[in-house]
Amino acid sequence: MVDNRVTLKRYFQLLGIYARMDLASLMRDGKFMALVIAADLISNVSAVSGIFLLAWKFGGIGGMDRFEVLFMLAYGNLVMGFLNMMGGSNALFPSRIIGRGQWEHMFIMPLPYGVQLTVGIFPFTGSSTFLSGIALLIVAMCNLEMVFAWWWPVLLVLLLAASMVIVVSLSYLFSSLTFYAPVQCEEISSTVIYNMERAMTFPLSGMPAYIRYPLLTFFPAGLMAWFPTMILLGKATTLENFYPAVFALLTAFTATHFFKKGFRHYVKKGINRYVSGGHRS
Amino acid sequence: MCREDIAPEQAAVIADSVSKTFTQWQRKEGVKGIFRQQKKTVAALEDVSFRIGKGEFVAYAGPNGAGKSTTMKLLSGMLQPTKGSVSVLGMSPEKDRIALMRRLGVLFGNRTELWWDHPVIQSFEWKKVVWDIPDEVYQRNLDRMTELLDIGSILNTFARELSLGQRMRADLAMMLLHSPELVLLDEPTLGLDVVAKRQMIEFLKWINREEGVTIMVTSHDMDDLEEMARKIMMISKGKLAYDGDFDGLRRLTGNRTHFTVITDGRRPELQGCRFLGGEHGAFEFETDLSHTPVRALLGMLSRTDGIRDVEIRRAPIEQVIARLYQSWKNEKGINNSEKSYDI
Repeated sequence: MVDNRVTLKRYFQLLGIYARMDLASLMRDGKFMALVIAADLISNVSAVSGIFLLAWKFGGIGGMDRFEVLFMLAYGNLVMGFLNMMGGSNALFPSRIIGRGQWEHMFIMPLPYGVQLTVGIFPFTGSSTFLSGIALLIVAMCNLEMVFAWWWPVLLVLLLAASMVIVVSLSYLFSSLTFYAPVQCEEISSTVIYNMERAMTFPLSGMPAYIRYPLLTFFPAGLMAWFPTMILLGKATTLENFYPAVFALLTAFTATHFFKKGFRHYVKKGINRYVSGGHRS
Repeated sequence: MCREDIAPEQAAVIADSVSKTFTQWQRKEGVKGIFRQQKKTVAALEDVSFRIGKGEFVAYAGPNGAGKSTTMKLLSGMLQPTKGSVSVLGMSPEKDRIALMRRLGVLFGNRTELWWDHPVIQSFEWKKVVWDIPDEVYQRNLDRMTELLDIGSILNTFARELSLGQRMRADLAMMLLHSPELVLLDEPTLGLDVVAKRQMIEFLKWINREEGVTIMVTSHDMDDLEEMARKIMMISKGKLAYDGDFDGLRRLTGNRTHFTVITDGRRPELQGCRFLGGEHGAFEFETDLSHTPVRALLGMLSRTDGIRDVEIRRAPIEQVIARLYQSWKNEKGINNSEKSYDI
């Protein structure tokens, strides 16, 4: 019986080779490296500056003061930054892998699919959002009039993990459709995630229930930054504190179920030119 | 058609009554066709059974759309059969994917496994880690591939900068780094020039002969296939139409032979031989050796006036197979066991 398990040591070996390759890409030439870093910086600053400037101008938004808004923006950057860094080989956008016929490369690799999807990291070229998130978080925390308990960092990590699970689960949930219609759904995961990323930067405090609740359930952009921020700032009830974790578990189970179902369909019914709307060639 | 003479434990590949169906959309002409588009079920493979013994070098041929790539994908676990079962190196490609991929090499000529924006050697190092290849095995194979495939000068070149021939050689080397026992090659000589093709063919023959690697290869270039492989399996319209050696395939089409006669300028009239072309005293004919044995042919030539020289050679396999393809095209169905060829 062949042991197909991947040990932690081997997992880090795999992460290491992708990290080395990413670093080599970045270091290929100085101009290229400067361009990548400058473009990332501009894009990250632009993404958060609009909302933060509004908060600055009006002394806060919807009951959140300007540094609470900044904290929320930083939280969102941490979530998306970490996922962008870890999802280098389109692991965050599996519909692209399926739609472009790249799963065929994965079939012939002697690694479990889960490992293949999570080791393809871009820690150097993909880390700017994450690093800017850390910087913004430090600035926000230094300016918040709040005492942070010893368990607060643990809560931060757990909530970040829950938000990431929600984002990844939704991406995989929608990507399951790509198994049935590879061409039509190739970009479905990026469309969903990018739209959620845009919506997550709006503070939902003070918004009417008919806007807030859909953004915490059907289109959970509120769980990517705003709701966890409320918990971390001590503005949520005890029961509400558990909501992101419960939601994350539910979406993860749902996504796993439908993704596996779609995958079974994919290998049973055929791919490429044989299926209607098969891969773009 | 299935070669039962290969015992299951000696078989590298066993396909048992494998069928694979797909659906295709059909749209007829006219306005009606726009609103009434129909789905059609296509049988890419129909009840195909075969065995490939360990250490064999098998060509897998057939016209476009015959089911060659589908078979390759079924064997490498990229697809699952609609019916029947597949066993590769004693494993199920579906259930034992990870273990199988450690012992199997797959190369599709129309796609690369190299990292496009990295030097070739980087892709090789990536493969070493992902396949968990021991240092000594990796180094031994790298040295050997570098020498045999002459890729030393391109190891540090970025994959996107390589010519097609260089890319194919690099892909082939990468595929063999983990010492696979079975290699599936789909159109490995696609688009290669004469020199690159020669290198590829010589190398494949070498690894089969010296390393005992079982090879299954598809190609549209029949002369290449005949040079490489000892056996040929032919597929047509999703059914296995022939499984045997190349001489047997020739006999199917009537054991045709081509010969050229050099004369004093006159074109000879040879009974039972078909004139193919020629002028200025060099004329090419075709004959069926099953009707006109070599001895009779030589006797007839010796009795003919004006003949100065004769060159006899087998009909190119390309032509033999072209005839087969044409005959299959004209048929509505194929009966594997009793097939008549009207050529």
